[in-house]
Amino acid sequence: MSTPFSASGDIPLSPAAAFPAAGSDMPGAARPAVRASGVKLAVRDLTMCYENGHTALSNLNLSVSAGEMVVVLGSNGSGKSTFMKCVVGLNRPTGGSVKVAGRDLAALSGEALRRARLPLALISQHANLVKRRSVLANVCCGALGRHRTLATALGRLPRKEIEPALGYLDEVGLLHLARQRAGTLSGGQAQRVAVARALAQRPDVLLADEPVASLDPEAADEVMRLLRRLATEDGLAVVCVLHQPELAARYADRLVGLRSGLLEFDRPASEVSSQQIASLYIAEAS
Amino acid sequence: MSKAIELHTPPGASGARTFWSVCAAVVFLALFVQAWIVVQARPEDLLTGAHGMADIISRAMPPAFDQFVPNLWPVLETIDLAIFGTVFGVLLAFPLSILAAANVTPALPLYYGARALIGVTRAVPDLVWALLFVTAVGLGPFPGALALAVHSVGMLGRLFAEVIEDMDMGPVEALTLTGAGRVQVLTHAVVPGVLPSLLGIGLFRFDENLRSSLVLGFVGAGGIGFQLLTAMNLFQYQTVSFLLIATFVLVTGAERVSAYLRRLFM
Repeated sequence: MSTPFSASGDIPLSPAAAFPAAGSDMPGAARPAVRASGVKLAVRDLTMCYENGHTALSNLNLSVSAGEMVVVLGSNGSGKSTFMKCVVGLNRPTGGSVKVAGRDLAALSGEALRRARLPLALISQHANLVKRRSVLANVCCGALGRHRTLATALGRLPRKEIEPALGYLDEVGLLHLARQRAGTLSGGQAQRVAVARALAQRPDVLLADEPVASLDPEAADEVMRLLRRLATEDGLAVVCVLHQPELAARYADRLVGLRSGLLEFDRPASEVSSQQIASLYIAEAS
Repeated sequence: MSKAIELHTPPGASGARTFWSVCAAVVFLALFVQAWIVVQARPEDLLTGAHGMADIISRAMPPAFDQFVPNLWPVLETIDLAIFGTVFGVLLAFPLSILAAANVTPALPLYYGARALIGVTRAVPDLVWALLFVTAVGLGPFPGALALAVHSVGMLGRLFAEVIEDMDMGPVEALTLTGAGRVQVLTHAVVPGVLPSLLGIGLFRFDENLRSSLVLGFVGAGGIGFQLLTAMNLFQYQTVSFLLIATFVLVTGAERVSAYLRRLFM
């Protein structure tokens, strides 16, 4: 199955030019409808102090709207991973709020947190697929949160999610691998399956924590194009942590720079100079 | 010596290593000598007893192959003891291992409780369990099967828990973040991830249980072991040699089948 973005080639620098608006003719049996516009993720005064006294994040503010792709840049230890963990609720921030669909994840725990973060999907550096299961089964697993039944608890897949899952696989260009074991996929293919699994969750916000860190340049480009397309066409709010400034500049609407847990800049990608990006890393090293 | 090597080999390190090697050798030798003394090893007795051994072997020849049909039932009993013990062992050990695996256990008290139960069932040998169950439910294969099941819970529980603790937690975290419940994560991420290893360990356990079931017959738990004990008490050495051949065939066959199945699953 080919998609308009599966062929390699030159990528125009402007995301708007490269990625047509929502509603364009895209293949995909069950491509979700474009989400309602508006702010999907609102982070206010997010602060994270660890028990050892280290302040990983300090009063961080960030809003991401539907259809927007924001890339977070920063050197190691700048607070990017802590930010992601606080947003998905893996770390409980010591201050501030993380609002998704109007609910503050930072104030919730247990079952309430599990339910509240359903509109939030995370893709990690590693695809984290269940290698012995089929690609399709892995994608269907993304929908388990909506199907907490005895059958799914006993290991059955939610039957009504199989058709949409095939659609998501079509959307990431891997429909032909639906029955293949996940363990046989290449790194780039596995990461695209992870994206399909995230889509099966039907999120409003898609978080990607260094999704291309372990991929070769071609596979990395494919994954970034896919994320860009999901923002542009499906209206997802995409937040992506990257270590590759050139990829960030090419695909992001907005760039966010973090240094020592502080927000250095939050501007449209076209307004951020390469010197500003470089300063994030140079300043940390000195 | 280059500077790089000097950095990794501080002066005197080689001498210290030799000293500790000599110490280790002395400790090992001392251990072996005390073991020799405690077990009252008398190699000369092996030579003087060779005549008696040869006499028994000559009386055991030829093996009583006419005992094949009468011993078919005990053979089946032995196999079934191992099947019962392994199946129940696996069924009880798996949930226990989930509780006893530090990375997936739902609560710390359950973790310690499961670890304690696994420890007790493993520490008591299956022969002792068989004696206890013979007292409780009487002679026959059932107490033997129960003994194998209980002991298998301990052995398998520990190994299963170790496999689960060593598993890749990435898929577990990924599914948890999709909003899947704890049981769903268990059945959709943990079980598919560890199932081949658990099956392999279960098949190994079947091998072990088959061998153990032979010994359990000596305490009245049925099977070939019981026939072997009876034949020895009645000085029927030709039947004994036949039963030993049957045991060899059974154990080797089970090993082959289990190895084949492990290859199939892994």
